[in-house]
Amino acid sequence: MPRKNTLKKAEARLGFLFILPSLILIASIIIYPLCYNIVLSFHKVALNPLKQPKFIGFSNYMNLLTDGDFIKSLMLTFLYVIITVATSTTVGLLIALLMNRKFKGRGIARSLVILPYVAPVISLVFVWQYMFNGIYGVANYLTVDKLHIFNAAPAWFDHPILSMVLVILFDTWRVFPYSFMMILAALQAIDGSLYEAAMIDGAGSWKQFWAITLPEIAPVLGSLVVLRSIWNFYKFDDVYLLTKQVPIMGVYLYQTAFSIYDFGLAAAITVALFIIVMTFVLFVKRKVSRI
Amino acid sequence: MSNKKIKDLILNILVIVVICVTLTPFYFMLTTALKTSQGSVAYPPQIFPTELTLQHFKDILNPAIFPFWRYFRNSFFVAFTTATLAVIIGSMGAYSLAKLDFPGKKLFQEGSLVVYMFSGILLVVPLFRIISSVGLYNNKFSLVIACLVTTLPATLFMLSSYFTTIPVSLEEAAMIDGLSRLQVIYKIVLPLSIPAIMSVFAYVFMIAWNDFLFSSIFLSTPDNMTLSVGLRQLFSSKDYVWGRMMAASFLTAIPVVIMFSMIERFITGGLTAGGVKE
Repeated sequence: MPRKNTLKKAEARLGFLFILPSLILIASIIIYPLCYNIVLSFHKVALNPLKQPKFIGFSNYMNLLTDGDFIKSLMLTFLYVIITVATSTTVGLLIALLMNRKFKGRGIARSLVILPYVAPVISLVFVWQYMFNGIYGVANYLTVDKLHIFNAAPAWFDHPILSMVLVILFDTWRVFPYSFMMILAALQAIDGSLYEAAMIDGAGSWKQFWAITLPEIAPVLGSLVVLRSIWNFYKFDDVYLLTKQVPIMGVYLYQTAFSIYDFGLAAAITVALFIIVMTFVLFVKRKVSRI
Repeated sequence: MSNKKIKDLILNILVIVVICVTLTPFYFMLTTALKTSQGSVAYPPQIFPTELTLQHFKDILNPAIFPFWRYFRNSFFVAFTTATLAVIIGSMGAYSLAKLDFPGKKLFQEGSLVVYMFSGILLVVPLFRIISSVGLYNNKFSLVIACLVTTLPATLFMLSSYFTTIPVSLEEAAMIDGLSRLQVIYKIVLPLSIPAIMSVFAYVFMIAWNDFLFSSIFLSTPDNMTLSVGLRQLFSSKDYVWGRMMAASFLTAIPVVIMFSMIERFITGGLTAGGVKE
């Protein structure tokens, strides 16, 4: 008995020792900054790092609530999140269903479809800027000269609504492969005998989809929607790089901090974002088992 | 039978359409990099370039004209260091989570799940202040740490779920044969986990290589810049030579694409098991 006990103790010691680097890193680079950020949000932070921040109570938060830009940015973000989550998940689902059959070159087809998700966002943004250029862009050529959707070259990067359309298109294209991979894996895990049984019962493909496929992949779809909502709520890089016309929360936060250099206000925005997403997570946590 | 064939044909055509649409931007990236400067601004746009040139690639790779190699080296250093550290620290932590018991394990697991959802932009403001005050501003190492930590929860999750699949009996048998716990880890567990370790390496490499957010605030001088920030600075004017821009974009994308295609078999399994973020 005592020997077993010391063994257990040795195990625990080793276990703790092994997790220690991760623990230290997460505590010092994530937990501590998040706490420090709360402190910052109650201060007026000078640009000069040597100058002590000045305590100003809830002023930053009051500014946020009375500042129309924050509310506007928040609404814009909700809109962006709802649309992109819907589009990227739907597109991912449809393509996963399409590729969940045996056909020649399936492996290559799958790898090719994943490319937008893998490539660096900077490269992708550059080529979209080229394709959607107002003078010689191919998007302009297609929508104006060929399809006659627009009368004149649309200002994809400068018009508020068109820019929103553009960033939604971009994000859908960039992240649908993630939904695609997850859903495809879930599809391939479905027990084939379920379909055989359904076929004997005379169920057509449409019915099979609703009765078998959808319930089987529902947990994956659920976690996809939750994760994508959170990630897109924090979205920054591709929207910021593509256009200045869509100030979603991530962009608004970044600009407050690094263009206006109001770190106190930016810290308050961070706290607000944190609370919003935390509320969302707690709300869905009970509903989605996998999260 | 022929009905099924027609259905298959339609579905196959759909697959081809999907691939073509998905790859269109990549097509324009490559062809524009090969077009002449006049060709890239021609209207109507040249879907098929009339004249091809390698001049833009030569310009980009010429250190006298363009600091591409310096940025490339910086990106590679950051991505490689981050991925290596992630594999080492992640394997240790994941083994602990998968096979050992220690007080507070449950709390740690739940905590790291939360961390997994809260990173990136939320850390930017406080981290920038902290990094500046400890003197790591404009130091590539700050980027390494930021990328390492934000990917750590996913790394731990992927590796520990893989380690769990290695039967305990195997390890016990080896220990009865006289191997110590540490020997078991590096002689049995790690070699068996090569696919998972490779996927984690590639995943972290990709995140660090593609990072724009942290690089844009941590790095300030061209000496230290990675490709993402460096290229953005060079091409901030919109009517810059498109050919060069596309050639640089293409070369920036190549390393991660090659890496990903090599380990795609492993990573699709790993990604889906871990629910890994972009």
